[in-house]
Amino acid sequence: MTSVNDKGVSAGGLEFEDQDLLRSIEDSGVGFRVVSTLLCLVILTAWVIFGRQILRGLGVTGLNQPVAWGFYIVNFVFFIGISHAGTLISAILRLSQAEWRRPITRMAEVITVVVLAIGAFHPVLDLGRPDRALNIFTAGRLQSPLLWDVSSISAYFMASTVYLYIPMIPDIALLRDRGVRPRWLYQFLAWGWQGTPRQQAVLERAVGILMVLVIPIAISVHTVISYIFAMTLQPGWHSTIFGPYFVVGAIFSGIAALMMVMIVLRRIFHLERYLKQVHFDYLSRLLLIMSLLWFYFTFSEYLTAFFGNEPSEMRVFYYKVTGPYAPFFWSMVVANFLIPAILLSFRRTRTIPGIFIASTSVVIGMWLERLNIVVPSLANPRLALPTGYYIPSLVEWVMFAGGIATFMLGFVIFARFFPLISVWEIQEGRKLSIAETTERLEGYLPDPVPSAATPPMTEGG
Amino acid sequence: MESQSEPRWILGLQIASVSMIWVFVLSISAWILHLLRLSRRLHDVPSASVGISIVAIPVFLLGAAVLTYVFVGLRRGREAPDESTLEPEEK
Amino acid sequence: MTRWGMVIDLDRCTGCGSCMAACHQENNLAAVGPEESSRDRAFHWLRVLPEVSGSGAEVKVRYVPQPCVQCDDPPCVRVCPVHATYLGEEGIVAQIYSRCIGCRYCMAACPYNAKVFNWYEPEWPGDLKQGTNPDVSLRPKGVVEKCTFCHHRVVKAREEARAAGREIRDGDVTPACAESCPARAIEFGDLEDPTSRVSELTRSPRAFRLHADLGTRPKVYYLAERD
Repeated sequence: MTSVNDKGVSAGGLEFEDQDLLRSIEDSGVGFRVVSTLLCLVILTAWVIFGRQILRGLGVTGLNQPVAWGFYIVNFVFFIGISHAGTLISAILRLSQAEWRRPITRMAEVITVVVLAIGAFHPVLDLGRPDRALNIFTAGRLQSPLLWDVSSISAYFMASTVYLYIPMIPDIALLRDRGVRPRWLYQFLAWGWQGTPRQQAVLERAVGILMVLVIPIAISVHTVISYIFAMTLQPGWHSTIFGPYFVVGAIFSGIAALMMVMIVLRRIFHLERYLKQVHFDYLSRLLLIMSLLWFYFTFSEYLTAFFGNEPSEMRVFYYKVTGPYAPFFWSMVVANFLIPAILLSFRRTRTIPGIFIASTSVVIGMWLERLNIVVPSLANPRLALPTGYYIPSLVEWVMFAGGIATFMLGFVIFARFFPLISVWEIQEGRKLSIAETTERLEGYLPDPVPSAATPPMTEGG
Repeated sequence: MESQSEPRWILGLQIASVSMIWVFVLSISAWILHLLRLSRRLHDVPSASVGISIVAIPVFLLGAAVLTYVFVGLRRGREAPDESTLEPEEK
Repeated sequence: MTRWGMVIDLDRCTGCGSCMAACHQENNLAAVGPEESSRDRAFHWLRVLPEVSGSGAEVKVRYVPQPCVQCDDPPCVRVCPVHATYLGEEGIVAQIYSRCIGCRYCMAACPYNAKVFNWYEPEWPGDLKQGTNPDVSLRPKGVVEKCTFCHHRVVKAREEARAAGREIRDGDVTPACAESCPARAIEFGDLEDPTSRVSELTRSPRAFRLHADLGTRPKVYYLAERD
C-alpha cells in the first residue's frame, strides 16, 4: 500500500507511539477483504430471503394466529437494547470524568450507531406490507406507541451518530495529515481541524452538550420500546415496571456486548496495550451490578404477577415457569444472573476468558428475555382459544444471521477506515490526565486545618 | 501543511452536508407538526403521545445546531484564516 | 344516530357453526387450506368457541360464538400507527385494507383476538372465486382484517331507507351470522333505541359482556344460559 510509505514522512520523523491503533486502517490486508466478502454474502442471502418474503407474504415465517409477533420483534427489542451499550455508557463515563474510559468510548459509540440502524430496520421486516411503510409519514398517528418509537429512535440515531462523529474529528484529521487514502474522505470529514486552542474549545463544548443530550434520549428510546408492550392490555405486558425494566436490560446487554466486542477486537488488532485488565475489571463490576439490578427487576415483576394471582396473568406466568417456555425462562435466569454473578464476583474467574464467557452468556440471556416477554403473552390470550406453538422458520433464522452479519460488517468497515480507539483522547490522557486527576483528587480532600503557626484568622472573630 | 491544499469542492461538499442535515431536521420537525395537527383533527387520545413528540423536535434541532456550531467553529478557529470565512448556515 | 349492537343467547346456541360458514361466504374469507390451518393460521371473523366447565360427571359445555365485539373504546384503534383501523360513527370498528401496513400491532393489542392476518395472498380454489360476494372487497396479502358487523349490509339498508325517505332504523339490517342461525340465537339491532329488541335483551339479568372489566365497552352482549 502506498500509504505505508507516506506515513514516515508525514509523521515528521517523530516517534508515533500509537501506531497499533492505526494498523487496521493503514495496513488492512487480505483479512479485511475476505471477512467483508463473507459477511456480504450472508447479508446478501438475508436480503434475497427478505425479497422472497415480500413476494410471498409473511406466511414464510413461523408466525401464527395468536402469536402474531415473533423473532422480528424479539430481535428488534434485542438489537435496540444492545445499542444502549454505547452512547449511554460512553456519555456516563465521560460525564463522570472516569479516566479509564478513554480507550473504550469509541467502540461503545460505534456499537450504538451500527446496532441501532439494524434494530430500527427490524419492524420493517415484520410488516405485512413493507411497500406501504411510508404510510407512517403521511398518515401516522401519534397516539400509537409505534410512532413514539419512530421519533425517539430517529432522534437517538441522529444524536448518537453526531456523538460518534464529533469526538472523532481530531482522529480523522490525523489520518488526513498522515496521507491515508482515500484522502478526500478524510479531508471532507476533518472539517479543517488543525488542533488550535479555539478549535479544541469548540469541540469540547460540543461534546459537552451532546453527552448531556444523549443520556435522556437513550433512556427514552428503551422506555418507549417497552411501551409498545406495556400500553396494551395484555397479561404479562401491561405493567408499569416495563419502562425501567427494559432500560436496565438494555444497559445490561449493552455492557455485555461491549465487552465481547472489546475482547474480540483486542485479540484481532492486538490492542492489549490499550485495553488492559483494569478496563475489563471496571466494566465487569458494572456488568455485575446490572446483573443484580436485572434480577431485582425480574423478581419484582414476576412476584407481582404471581401474588396477584389473576387468572390470565397466571396462565402467562405458568407458561414461562413450568410450561412450554420453562427451558427458555430458566436458561434466561441462569445466563443473566447465575453465570455472570458467579464468574464476575471472584477475582479468580474475573479473567479475560471468564469475562468473555459471562458477557456472551448475558447477551444470549437478554435475547432469551426478549423472547420470554414477546411470545408467551401472545400465546396465552385472555379468551381461552386453542393455540399452537410458535416455531420460528428458517427464514427468520436467516434474517437473524443477516442482522448479526450486518453488525460485524459495520465494525469491519469502521475499523478499516477509522481508529477503533480514540487516538487523540489517549494522547491527551497521557499528557494531561495525571496532572488533572491529581488536581481533582486534591480537590476532594478536606481542606487543611488552619495551623497554629499561621497568623490568627480575621474571619474567626 | 497538507490540509491547506484541500480542493474547493470539498468545502462545497461540507457545506452541502451541513445543509442536508438541516433539511433533514426541518423536515422531521415539519412531519411531527403535521402529525400533531392530524391527531387533533382525529381527536386522538392526548396524553403522553403529544408530549413525547413535541420533545422530539427540539432534540433534532439541537443536534443539527451542535453540528453547525462545530462546523462553523472549526472553520473560524483555524490557524491562518483564509478568505473563505463562512457565513453560519440558515441559523 | 344508530349504534349497532348484537346480543347472542348462549341458551339457544347449539354450536352448529352455521354462523361461521355464513360469515365466510358473505365476507369472502379466503380458503386457507388444511396445511396452513394446522399451522394455526385458520381464518375466521367469527369463531364458535366451546367452553368446558365442571369436572367428573358434572361436565358442561357451552358454545360461545365470538365475532369482533366492536368495542366503544377499542384498544386496537389506539395502537394503530397509520389510522388503518378506526371507530365508525355508528360504532363499528372498521379496517382500511388499502392503508394497513400489516404491523399486526392491533392483533397483539386486541384482548379478544378478533383480528386475523393474511399470511399469504388469499386464495379461492376452484370456482369459489366466482361465488364471491361483490359487496365485500377482496383483501390483499399482508393486511389485517376483521368482522365488520356486515357493514356492507348496513350501507345497503341505509340507501334503501334514504330511497324510502326515512332514517335507517332498528330491524333494517341483519348480518349474515344472525340471518343464518337456525336457533335464532343472534339478535342484531340498534342499541341506542330503547325499544329495540337488542336494547331490551341487554337489560336482561342474564346479559353480560366479554371482559367488560377491561373498560373496552364491547357492543356484543351475551345472555348466560339458565340452569
